[in-house]
Amino acid sequence: MKRGRTVALLGAALGFAAAMCSPAIQADETTPTRVGQDAVCTRCHDESETKPILAMYQTPHGVTADGRTPSCQSCHGASAGHVAGDTEGKGRPAPDVIFGSKHTPAGYQPSDPLVQTEACLTCHKEGLRTHWSGSQHQLGDVVCSNCHTVHAANDPMLVKILQPEVCFGCHKEQRAQTKHISTHPLDAGKMACSDCHNPHGSSGPKLLVKNTVTETCLTCHAEKRGPFLWEHQPVNEDCTNCHTPHGSNISALLKSRPPFLCDECHDGPHNSQAPYGTAVGGIQGGGALAGGSPNSNAVGRACMNCHVMVHGSNSPTGAFLHH
Amino acid sequence: MHTESKQLTVKAVSLAIRAALLLFVGASPLVQAQALDAENEDVHALIYPLNWLEIGVLNVPTDSPKFGEYNGLYRSGAYLLANFDIRGGDAYRQDGGTTRWQVSGIDLGTTSRNLQAHIAQQGVWNFGVSFDQLRHYTTDGSYQTPFLGSPGDNLFVLPPSFGVINTTTTASGGVITSENRGTQSLTASQQAAFHDENIYSERRNTGFSAGYRMNAQWAVQFDFKRLDQSGAKLIGSGTDAYDLSDAGGFNYRGERIAILMNPTEYKTDTLNLALNWTGRKGFASLGYFGSMFHDDYSGVTWSNPFVTGGTGDQPNPAPGTSPGDAFPLSTMSTPPDNQLHQLNLSGGYLFSPSTKLTGAFSYARNTQDASYDGTYTLVPDTAENLPVNSLDGLVVLTHADLKLTHQAGKALSFAAGLRYNERDNRTASREYTFLDLGGEELTAVNIPMSNRRLQFDMGADYRFGSHQHLHLGYEYDRIHRWCGNDLANNAQGELSDTNAGYYTNASCVQVPKNEENRLVATWRARLGETVDLNAGFTHGRRKAEVNDSFYNPMQANDQGFENFGYLAFFAASRSQNLFKAGVTWQATDQFTLGLNGRRTNDDYDSTLGVQKGHSSSANLDANFSYSETGAVAAYVSWQRRSRDLLSASGRNAVALRDTLWSNNFGDRDHTLGISGTQKALMGGKLDLTEELNYSSSTSRYVTDLVQNINPAVGNSGSSPDIQAKTTQLRFIGAYRLNASSSLLAGYLYQRLKSTDYFYNAYQLGFTPTTLLPTNQQAPNYSVNSVFVAYRYSFR
Repeated sequence: MKRGRTVALLGAALGFAAAMCSPAIQADETTPTRVGQDAVCTRCHDESETKPILAMYQTPHGVTADGRTPSCQSCHGASAGHVAGDTEGKGRPAPDVIFGSKHTPAGYQPSDPLVQTEACLTCHKEGLRTHWSGSQHQLGDVVCSNCHTVHAANDPMLVKILQPEVCFGCHKEQRAQTKHISTHPLDAGKMACSDCHNPHGSSGPKLLVKNTVTETCLTCHAEKRGPFLWEHQPVNEDCTNCHTPHGSNISALLKSRPPFLCDECHDGPHNSQAPYGTAVGGIQGGGALAGGSPNSNAVGRACMNCHVMVHGSNSPTGAFLHH
Repeated sequence: MHTESKQLTVKAVSLAIRAALLLFVGASPLVQAQALDAENEDVHALIYPLNWLEIGVLNVPTDSPKFGEYNGLYRSGAYLLANFDIRGGDAYRQDGGTTRWQVSGIDLGTTSRNLQAHIAQQGVWNFGVSFDQLRHYTTDGSYQTPFLGSPGDNLFVLPPSFGVINTTTTASGGVITSENRGTQSLTASQQAAFHDENIYSERRNTGFSAGYRMNAQWAVQFDFKRLDQSGAKLIGSGTDAYDLSDAGGFNYRGERIAILMNPTEYKTDTLNLALNWTGRKGFASLGYFGSMFHDDYSGVTWSNPFVTGGTGDQPNPAPGTSPGDAFPLSTMSTPPDNQLHQLNLSGGYLFSPSTKLTGAFSYARNTQDASYDGTYTLVPDTAENLPVNSLDGLVVLTHADLKLTHQAGKALSFAAGLRYNERDNRTASREYTFLDLGGEELTAVNIPMSNRRLQFDMGADYRFGSHQHLHLGYEYDRIHRWCGNDLANNAQGELSDTNAGYYTNASCVQVPKNEENRLVATWRARLGETVDLNAGFTHGRRKAEVNDSFYNPMQANDQGFENFGYLAFFAASRSQNLFKAGVTWQATDQFTLGLNGRRTNDDYDSTLGVQKGHSSSANLDANFSYSETGAVAAYVSWQRRSRDLLSASGRNAVALRDTLWSNNFGDRDHTLGISGTQKALMGGKLDLTEELNYSSSTSRYVTDLVQNINPAVGNSGSSPDIQAKTTQLRFIGAYRLNASSSLLAGYLYQRLKSTDYFYNAYQLGFTPTTLLPTNQQAPNYSVNSVFVAYRYSFR
């Protein structure tokens, strides 16, 4: 604690020093100027806090020479009562803005979500946050600090390999699905949730980064974009007609196993009208033709043994997605 | 929110990354204490980032491409661990500078390596480059093929001595049934031709980004990425069993199947350019997004080992003998080159502090004009009858959205939104005459499909004091589907006598219009200071406008329809009810318990097709921080999914079939995890993390013959379970040797046990299925891995 106090004092000095520096970028009139108010706060709030704060100087919010950089009070409010202390013997009043969804160790209740969010949107209203208002997370009272850790040197939300754990704090079904045998490479840190979703709100469904599901998937899977000579309607409309992107027991991220998956849309053509059930000899699985021989319409890739171009074909002989 | 748990959990397979990042990001006292002895060093540590270099070795004792599917650890042996993260710049000195830079590398000793460099003068400009490699293994090391050729090639031929596979039939007229089909057994020499191939597809993503902020209002951002793909993925293939001795060039021989290495030799260039404006009350962004896809190939060609007709000078060779000059070849297409160019405009305006309007508009042209050359088997009829040599395809994508939000006092808020998406496929339709699998001559019309979707939602939120919140909403969703030319809209095939009268006014889509209305209600409340409750209910009703004259263009002329009353599930009329509820109990500052669940019921109105769908889940989470340096977390997830299907056997489009069968799908998943962390042990020198995850998934299909079905035409019962059980156990420790050095060590145990009837058909010597075997097995592995690394850190 002693060292923490020392650090806090030095942090306060740092705040004053920063305020004295000439900013490389002049603050514009729409953003507040940092005026060395940090010291007012860091005199008491130090590295011994439950959530240490001074490493913030390593973050973009700590580049004091950038005229846009906020002070503590830019986000937490002037908090005059809190700064003045326990003047009425009723305990120190809360700061103007308390972030989070739980009460603080000091017993302060979090501020209204709108107040919290506005503190961030004052500077971060554009870009990825364009569609925040009215978005699923906004309506669910999710606040910025539920996901972002702005006082730490590194915000896990912005580290690809750590980001899914932040999201899984609420999205527990998706957490379980990523443990399935067929997944996107989230667990290996090669993808993050934000590669597909914009948690701040979007113009697409399910907070997707693009306007539609298909447009989002084709960002990486451009080979399936076409337009193909022979199209497949569910592919054009929504990839999730057949795929479940967070994980599946059926490769490749399929909602169900062909031929049964195909049966959900096709009943007339070809062998989609044929029932397939018990294994031949107890081990085949997927069905048999009359007479007992296994049926290639049902085993292995089933329909996709021959109808291989399920995403579309550009061959003049591919009308039935064979080629 | 349980942000604590993310700091406790070690989950990535990539051990080295996780070890490093946990220490780095988790604000560990160990890390924070490094290089800190004096007070000025305390300041130094707060201002300057922790840089680190890590080098070590990781041992994988067994080959397992499935284990190494994404992490690059697919072969047994030792792997170099090499990771680093170095940052600098005058901005850290807090003396007036605003420049920061970062160079980092992760997993450099594997095929999952990542390198990045970034420099920025904050608030003025930024510049970055990146490289990311991902080798995705798709087989479990057991794929075998008799074809000559390597992954990434597009020509797969059989050795001349391979001989024709025994598919002798006894039927006249070439009609094959199960009774007259040959044994299709492979001879000893044919089996000897099978050899192993390791199948993977590799992505190398190289990126470049730059941005410049001209002033407080204007900024421009640019980024470019090139995705290079190589390797192959497995794909089925129906062969053209042609017989040149037949007058038509082809003779029906059934559709024999080989599993091929489909090349993924792709390049995709992606480009983003955006001009951003921010004002006092509004903001806007004008951008361009481009995506250009290129495939090195236009098709894949392979030998047909099933042909029984032989070639000119050696007709009808005996099974197992050479077919003469060479095996006939079959060809299928690979993805065509295509481009997407999109203009985007988005922005928002604050009418007042409580009223905000946001919106976006985008317009895109998606084109494709790759030549048909090399996409089909070259036989006279096809080549001569091509109406054009390329598609000249064009799809115009339009999007627009608006959202208005208004805060009417502290307690009440409103939101209303409108979304419009259109996929207008303006590609021309033409007639294509071709020979399908088996040599049947057919004519089909390409059907460019378009759709337009309009969505509207409005909602109100009301807060009852500070502890209760109610949301009521209404959502409307309408989709139109159409084809944009007369040829596509009248593309019905010839009618057989039994189906006469079915077509009245043919159209290219089965359901031209869907409309759905949804009502949404959610409620949240806080009881006291420690309990949070939430519950929600959504009811949706989707109606389908069905075109009874629908002709499925993907099917042969006399087969291009579904049975009467059968609708594709995603367009069928449906009612949906969704319930969800959750409770979180913050028992103490150290202990949190959460339970939530949801259930969705879908009821379809279709006479035939999917009848019901259901999914449900329950999740229990607990987090306990028993000290400032120690915590444990645990979770359990339970998930169920089911789908009931009713289908008809035999084709009769005119009336509802009375030969019915059902198929029920069930999926059961259980997942649990426990993780813990202990920091600053042994006098502050040792940090430990542990994690255990277990996942069990089982999928099962049950088919029943419901009505009037002769068991001879199909079978019923349960398919074998598709099951996968995964166990992951990890221990990672970091021991501080001195102020700048640490020793990292870890142990990983990961096991997968899976059974899947998918692979039964691929076994050598198994019951003939008309599939050329690959000998692939369901993935199973058990890997014990250890690593040790030295870490040097400095500021």
